[in-house]
Amino acid sequence: MIQLLLPYLGIGLLLLAALCLWARQSFVTRAGRAELLTPRQHRLGLGRTAPHRDLGERIFGPEDWDFISHDTPSEIQRMFQRERTVLAISWLRRTRKRVSQVMRAHVAGAQQSKDLHLATEIRLAVSYFLFLILCNSLIGWVWLHGPVRTRKIVGQILQWAAQLRGAFEQLMARVDPASCRVTGTNFNHETARN
Amino acid sequence: MFSQILWWIVSATEAFVLVRSGKAKLYGKYPAFYLYLSTVFFLEVVRFSIFHFRPISYPAFYWYTEFLAASVGYAVILEIYKHALKSSPGAARIARTFLLVVLGAVILKVMANALSSPVWSPATTSAELERSLRTVQALLLFGIVALLAYYWVPIGRNLKGITLGYGFYICASVMSLAFGSLPGYGLRPAWRFVQPIAYLVALFIWSLALWSYQPNPEAETESQIELDYRFLVNKTKRVLSRAQSFLKLDGEL
Repeated sequence: MIQLLLPYLGIGLLLLAALCLWARQSFVTRAGRAELLTPRQHRLGLGRTAPHRDLGERIFGPEDWDFISHDTPSEIQRMFQRERTVLAISWLRRTRKRVSQVMRAHVAGAQQSKDLHLATEIRLAVSYFLFLILCNSLIGWVWLHGPVRTRKIVGQILQWAAQLRGAFEQLMARVDPASCRVTGTNFNHETARN
Repeated sequence: MFSQILWWIVSATEAFVLVRSGKAKLYGKYPAFYLYLSTVFFLEVVRFSIFHFRPISYPAFYWYTEFLAASVGYAVILEIYKHALKSSPGAARIARTFLLVVLGAVILKVMANALSSPVWSPATTSAELERSLRTVQALLLFGIVALLAYYWVPIGRNLKGITLGYGFYICASVMSLAFGSLPGYGLRPAWRFVQPIAYLVALFIWSLALWSYQPNPEAETESQIELDYRFLVNKTKRVLSRAQSFLKLDGEL
C-alpha cells in the first residue's frame, strides 16, 4: 500500500525542494544579478583562459612533486602536499565559479531569446551539471588524498572506463555488427589500449 | 474546538486579504488569484452555514465543494504563468512545451483508466479525485518554479508571494491527501488539520506579500548581439567544453 503513496510523496517533495531552492535564490537575487552582469562586463576576459589552464597543469602536474620527493626531508614533503592541496582546491573552486558565471549569463540571455531551442538548452544544462558533479567530486578527492594521488586515481579510473567501453564495444560488435559500425566511430581505441 | 478556532482564523485572514486587495487595488492586477480566493471564502461561509443548519448534508457538500475549489485553483497557476514569464519569451516557450506534455500525459492517463476499468468512474472517492487534481497542479507548479529558478527570472513581491503560498499549500495537500486515502488513515483526526494549517500558512504569506502592488521588475534590455541565441549557445558551449578539458587536463589526469 505504501508503494501507492510514493509517487505522490515524490511529487510533493519535488515541489517543496524547488520552492525552497527558488526562495533561497530570491534572497540572494541582488548578488545573483550582479554576478550575471560580471561576465558581460568582462566579456573579453573570458577568452583568456590559457594562463589559468597553465596554472592548473602546474598544480596537478607531477614535475614539482618529483623534484620535492627526491631531495627533501619528509617534513618538507608533507608541507608541500598540504599547500598544494589548498592551492588545487582553490583552483577548482575558481574554475567552478567562472563556469557558473558564464552559465548564469547564458540563462539570463537565453530567457529573453525568442528562438530558444529546448534540446540545446537541455544538452547545455546536462553538460553543466556533469561539470559541477565532476568538479565537486574532484574537490572531494583532492581534499581527501591530495592533488598528486588524485591525479593518479582519476587517471586509473579513466583508463578502466576506456577499457570497459572497449570491452562493451567488442561485445556489441559480436551481438549487433550493424549498430557497432555507428557506435564504433566514436570509440577511441588508442585510449582503451593505454 | 481546535477545528472551530482554526476555521475562524482562516476565514478572518481570508477576509483580511480580500479587503486589503480592495484597498491596494490589487483585484484588477491578479483577477484569477482573487477569483480563487473569493470562491474559497464564499465556500467556507456556505459550508459553515450548512454545518450549523443541516449537519447531515455537510460531508457530501464538503467533498463536492472541495472539488470545485481544487478546480478553480488552476486559475492561480495560469495567473502565475501569465505574469511570471511575460518578459521571458524563451522560458515561456519551454513552459508551454512542459504544460502541453503534462496535459497530454493527464489525457492519456484518463483514457487508459477509462479503457482498463469495466465500470469507470472519475475517481473512487472525492478525496482521490482531489488528490489527482492537486497532483497535476503540483507538477505544473514544479515546472514553472523550476524554470523561474533555472533562468533567474526576476519577479515582483506579489507574484513571489502568490507562488510560494500556493506552492506550499499544494505540496501539503498532495501529501496529506495521499496519506488520507490510506485505509484507516482517514479515521485519524490529525491528518485532517494538515490542509487547513497549510492553507493558513499560505494566507499569512499572501497577506504579507500582497500588502501593496509590487510589479515585476522590468527585464534588462540586452543588445542585439547578446540576444543572438546561436552566438550565446556557442559561447557557453565553448567555455563549458574548455572547462571540462581543464579538469581532465586533456585526458592526462
